[in-house]
Amino acid sequence: MKKINIIIALLGIMLSSCEEFLTIVPETALSSATFYRTETDFEQAVNATYAPMRTIANTRSWLLCEMRSDNTIYARNINFGATEQQEDLSDHALPEAQGITSNTHVLNQYRQDYLIIARANQILDLIDEVEFDQASKDNLKGQALFLRGYAYYELARYFGSVPLHLSPVTAREEAALPLTPEAEIYNHLIGDIQSAVNLLPVQSQQEVGRASKGAAQMLLADVYITQKKWAEAETLLKAIVNSGEYELIDNYEDVFSESVGNKNNAESLFEVQYLEGPEGLNSSFLYNFMPRPISPDELQPITGTSNPQPLDGEGNNIPTPDIIAAYEDGDLRKDASIAYVEIAGSDREDKVYPYIKKYAKHHDLHGNHGINWPIYRYAEVLLFLAEALNEQGKTEEAAGYLNQVRDRAGLDDANAAGQTDMREVIFNERRVELAFENKRWFDITRADRVQEIIGDFGARALANPQDYYYPAGATFRSNAFTNITKYYALPAAEAEITPHF
Amino acid sequence: MKRNFYLFLNGKRLITLMAAMLLTFFSYAQSTVSGVVRSEGDMETIPGVSVLVKGTTRGSVTDLEGQFTVQASPGEVLSVSYIGYTTQEVTVQSGRSEYEIVLASSMSDLTEVVVVGYGSQLKKEITGSVQTITGDDLMDIPVPQMAQKLQGQLAGVQINQTTGKPGQGMNVRIRGQLSVSAGSDPLYVVDGFPITGDIATLNPDEIQDITILKDAASTSLYGSRAANGVVLITTKRGKAGQSSVSLNVYTGMQNVPDYNRLEMMDAVEFAQFKKEYFEDAGRPVPEMFQNPSQYEGQTQDWYDALLQTAPITNYNLTINSNTEKMRTSVVAGYFDQEGVVLNTDYERFSLRINSDYTASDKLTMGFNLAPNYVRDNTPRTDGSRGTGILFNALHTWPNMPIYDENGELTYFNRFPSETGNIFAYPNYVRSAQEITNETKQVNLLSNAYLEYEIIEGLVAKSTMNAEIRNSKYFYFNPSTATPGMNVAIPTVASSVRDNREVFSWLNENTVTYTKSINDHNFQLLGGFTNQKFRLDRTQIAANTYADDRLPTVQGAININRGSTISDVQEWALTSFLSRLTYNYQGKYLLTAAIRADGSSRFGSENRWGVFPSVSAGWVMSDEGFLNTSDKVSFMKIRGSYGVTGNNNIGNYTQYALVNNTVNHVFDNSVVPGAAVTSLSNPFLGWETTQQFDIGLDLGLIEDRIQFVYDFYSKNTTNLLYNVQIPQEAGFGSFTDNIGEIKFWGHEFSVISRNTSGKFNWTTNANISFNRNRVQELAEGIDRVYGTFHITQVGQPFGQFYGLRKLGNYMNEEDLNSSPQVPGRSTVGSIKLEDINNDGIISQGGDNDDRTIIGSPFPDFTYGITNNFRYGKWDLNIIGSGSYGNQLIIRHLYSTANLDGVFNMVQKATERFRSPEDPGDGIFGTTVGGGNVTGIERDWMNSNFVWDASFFSIKNITLGYNIGTIANVVKSARVYASVQNVYIFTPYWGGPNPEVSQQNNGDGDGGNLSPGIDLTGYPVPRTFTVGANITF
Repeated sequence: MKKINIIIALLGIMLSSCEEFLTIVPETALSSATFYRTETDFEQAVNATYAPMRTIANTRSWLLCEMRSDNTIYARNINFGATEQQEDLSDHALPEAQGITSNTHVLNQYRQDYLIIARANQILDLIDEVEFDQASKDNLKGQALFLRGYAYYELARYFGSVPLHLSPVTAREEAALPLTPEAEIYNHLIGDIQSAVNLLPVQSQQEVGRASKGAAQMLLADVYITQKKWAEAETLLKAIVNSGEYELIDNYEDVFSESVGNKNNAESLFEVQYLEGPEGLNSSFLYNFMPRPISPDELQPITGTSNPQPLDGEGNNIPTPDIIAAYEDGDLRKDASIAYVEIAGSDREDKVYPYIKKYAKHHDLHGNHGINWPIYRYAEVLLFLAEALNEQGKTEEAAGYLNQVRDRAGLDDANAAGQTDMREVIFNERRVELAFENKRWFDITRADRVQEIIGDFGARALANPQDYYYPAGATFRSNAFTNITKYYALPAAEAEITPHF
Repeated sequence: MKRNFYLFLNGKRLITLMAAMLLTFFSYAQSTVSGVVRSEGDMETIPGVSVLVKGTTRGSVTDLEGQFTVQASPGEVLSVSYIGYTTQEVTVQSGRSEYEIVLASSMSDLTEVVVVGYGSQLKKEITGSVQTITGDDLMDIPVPQMAQKLQGQLAGVQINQTTGKPGQGMNVRIRGQLSVSAGSDPLYVVDGFPITGDIATLNPDEIQDITILKDAASTSLYGSRAANGVVLITTKRGKAGQSSVSLNVYTGMQNVPDYNRLEMMDAVEFAQFKKEYFEDAGRPVPEMFQNPSQYEGQTQDWYDALLQTAPITNYNLTINSNTEKMRTSVVAGYFDQEGVVLNTDYERFSLRINSDYTASDKLTMGFNLAPNYVRDNTPRTDGSRGTGILFNALHTWPNMPIYDENGELTYFNRFPSETGNIFAYPNYVRSAQEITNETKQVNLLSNAYLEYEIIEGLVAKSTMNAEIRNSKYFYFNPSTATPGMNVAIPTVASSVRDNREVFSWLNENTVTYTKSINDHNFQLLGGFTNQKFRLDRTQIAANTYADDRLPTVQGAININRGSTISDVQEWALTSFLSRLTYNYQGKYLLTAAIRADGSSRFGSENRWGVFPSVSAGWVMSDEGFLNTSDKVSFMKIRGSYGVTGNNNIGNYTQYALVNNTVNHVFDNSVVPGAAVTSLSNPFLGWETTQQFDIGLDLGLIEDRIQFVYDFYSKNTTNLLYNVQIPQEAGFGSFTDNIGEIKFWGHEFSVISRNTSGKFNWTTNANISFNRNRVQELAEGIDRVYGTFHITQVGQPFGQFYGLRKLGNYMNEEDLNSSPQVPGRSTVGSIKLEDINNDGIISQGGDNDDRTIIGSPFPDFTYGITNNFRYGKWDLNIIGSGSYGNQLIIRHLYSTANLDGVFNMVQKATERFRSPEDPGDGIFGTTVGGGNVTGIERDWMNSNFVWDASFFSIKNITLGYNIGTIANVVKSARVYASVQNVYIFTPYWGGPNPEVSQQNNGDGDGGNLSPGIDLTGYPVPRTFTVGANITF
């Protein structure tokens, strides 16, 4: 009997220690149950919310914006198999059915934007429950709202109606939401950005590189301009101009970030930050912008690295003859933005290709640079302001702002007879001033000139494929320029798993 | 702190329990009984015969002179058994202490005792589906891994050697078990200890026998780890009375035979191809290819340059030192295998000491200690284009020089771009020779047990087991070489160091009560166990070395932060188990078992799993009505049903993890970032398999023919799966238990002793039919796509998915009258089937024409072993085969790239060139470039899918028994053996039809994408000679 008692007692002890024995929390990772408790936690959470911006700017935006416009094009290398997905974007030949496309670049852009949104939602959901310094909290909230607003603005412009997530997903059932109409998406993102404007400090008071009040005002002005709310935009833009926080840099060539230096300069309102080196925080878009196949010797003068490697495949984001022709004579920006390289391995007769020069800054490591990507800079503030004024009939006042930009480019004052002329001048001024900064496509869409401009561009390209970098005898695929649309279709991989589209 | 407290408690508990056992100590009056065992006929004494006092654990084994001594009281029954003889029972009589026992020889092995989970059973009384193999039967096969030796020998177990890398690549699937994302390897239990390390490192010469547990009744005592089947390995132990020293040695050579290598173009054929390529395209032929015949005899065979003839050597010394009380077996081994690819070397030093000590007739204890050291270096041979050097070498242009004019290895080759050479080809011989890819590991397996008979029939056993593993991986890629493609040399030198330390311990405590009342025989087992595992891992990746001679971490200019990791993985498992075995007269058999597992891997709301099973058997031949038949000597039908689990679901999958390395940068300064990267699932649990088995064991003509048949049917539910969720949520997936797969199959095996006497011929054959079907996936999901695969409800797992090739468009008329890929199809390009009849061929999207185009699963697998003995000669031939399975020759996307970018398979000389010269239909036209050829190459289609049925003669061994030499050598045998003698197969995509490279380089991996051939490490043919000598 005693034996049995001992055994029962032992079993009891054993069972009670079981749960402890069986509870093992990961030692080398944090769990959500223990995170989001301190100011530092939220700082880190906000930092991580910026992270998808690096991917977007490095590998997506230029594909979905610039290469879809008439500024740049995909340069085929007939010795290489077609990289159809990028070619489809450039050629307006996206496969599409019932508002769905299988293009992976469209998919990845969509997913990266929602990654920003999910991280921001997590912060905004929990930050008010934790007590810490109000100024710091406002700043962090402002940044999260800015980033969420920015992501929804991208989605609205790319896709129109999309699902609207405003709080974190915690279970499988909450993952899929129905499409929210574009107008409602705009209402929400305007609310976010408006709050960000109120919460964020001005740039000189903000930690370098983070979203500031000026950046939020500019983002909101951008939204208003897209919505043709000219007066609201004017107010915001004037506030930026009058803040004294920003100025034009004298020499256009000096505006753009180098791999290490000249980042977040006096003209910059907001840019995507990168770091050259092995940390994995670098950019590499310069390499994507090279015509191919390019040999190490041909690449070295452009990148300046000590160990250049050959690049194969096909060239992306190659400036079109159209953008080259868009510069007026004497425009200092032309040579600062575009240069040429001769490629021995090319099948083209003259073997010469233009490439984007404004980002071609020397650096150390092959395939790895720290060049920042400009999102908003002061020149665009001035051009937006000119546009907002002109659209309200204040063409004279508009000219003053426009000419500040032209003056720096070494050009005479604009010669515009009236509002309509001025509109066209500003439209072209934006094209060359902001060339290869992913502005052109949205300028075309918000002006509702997609069919006109891209249609004409396509006709020109199809008629003269050799001007668009095809070697003699080769031409576009038969489906090129057959699917010219303002919005992208929604991504197929998402459509497959959501019941809502 | 808590953990330490627990361990302390655990120790204290053990001591208390042992004290309790000692309290109950009391003894019986017993006397010494001795005797001799002889074999009927020649009346020779038999050593090694088991003499057991029935119903107790008292027993002995006869010595070399056939003598035995046991403690037994009058009235007790001695059970005398030996393999190959009929068991005899002798009742101890009062006043008589000497016995002469004569055993009659038996054809049957039914009297054999088989190791089962947590005990052993008479083979005759087993009610589950179990198969046993003796280590000695496998000794001659010259391979380092146990699983290699088992190929072709087991029904229902498919064993494929997926790569020839020494010590790697054995894929073992019991009854076709598969899971979407949890592991599918069986559980390996070595001397009662479920090990966590790689079974491949175990020296197979240490193995006494191997038992494969297939059905749920046999495996359910292993609970949440048993769903993939269990392999019980018992290592060699001493037997009372036998002391011996034996030496087993073999040595040999390995090579890659020519007959089944992939045939690539030689330099002349390649130049001819390129010439035609440019001519057909209407472009000028580059000077290099204008005169193909200039390359006659100039072919640079890059694949062959990587191969070598390599030695293999194995030494094993076994010492058995046995006294009445202490029995020790020591196995010391050294194995060395150089690989058939340059710079491959696999070396193993191993030692095992197993000791048993009989302290009294009630108390036995034992210790096993098995350290080993394994070092291997293998070049980066396997992988897709750009990562595997064999693949890369195969498609390097055959006119690119391996050596320069000074006889030095070139660094890389690149011809002018007008030749169509768009890639730089590094010298892969340098890659093999100069890159270090080395793993060194020290493994220590140890067990200790204490067994005490509390009262008659009641035995308590406590074991403590520990597994320690320390492995160091070192990779160094100097600036002069690369395994990659299109890398100019010098490249960036890089290194990876990965150090892992594993400690796993298991404590098991069981009580077994055995009792016979009249003809009712019972055994009841109860127990509880605790196991814990911990892995500490540090990986450091560095690059940009100033000097290749100093690949230290500090010698690197950069630390690659993305690949520099420290990690801890832990799990714990607590279990309760019980089994009741009952039989009436050894004729009506019943077993019921249950195990409850609590696991740290399961979510907090679902922590405990219960795994019951029941099985029954009826030995019909013991009934009167069958005894009359002299044809049927044995007949048993058995059936079982049970539930098992698969807990290979990751250690922390249930948690929502915050990744705190989502860093960002502001103004050139790194700032730390953190984000939730997964969703939590507190309900996460094991995968459940319910299995039903019915079997028939038949012995015919005095058991000269033994036949076993099993039918099984099992359903795996709660599959662990990363259910994709819309990424608008910010997460890609949610790990959940979903879906259902049904498996079923038939297994037949037969042992036939065709002749006996001086010429003895035995045939052992088996055939298995395994099937599976996906019954259900997640809610709202009826299919999962891989790059080349689909797993779809209503279909078998991982089917090949793509477009179906009908041929090539033979001429204008054919082209114009057939559906096309708009803007891409031309005369001579691949003609695909318009599955959805919309007049257009398309891949993906809403107008998808893809369909199932093949299956990696065989219709059946089979094995046949023939053993011949004539006098002192013996000959053993093992064959294994598979029928109806297919492979994706994935490397064709490069080796049949019609743009002439790479060297190509020789079959591509017979491609389509014109309607008049249409080739043999396999490959299409080169004209039109990537826009045309890209369809054939980049769209998965049935042109990649080929029959990979095979029959492989795995091993032929011829031995000669020398017998006794003087008084020194008790027995000696010499033999010659050939491993991987010949493979009969229609498969042409590479030398190994058993290949299944799971990582196909397209982001797929794991079980959902089987059957990919990227031409990996070839499996060598091995010639050896060996000797077994006992002193």
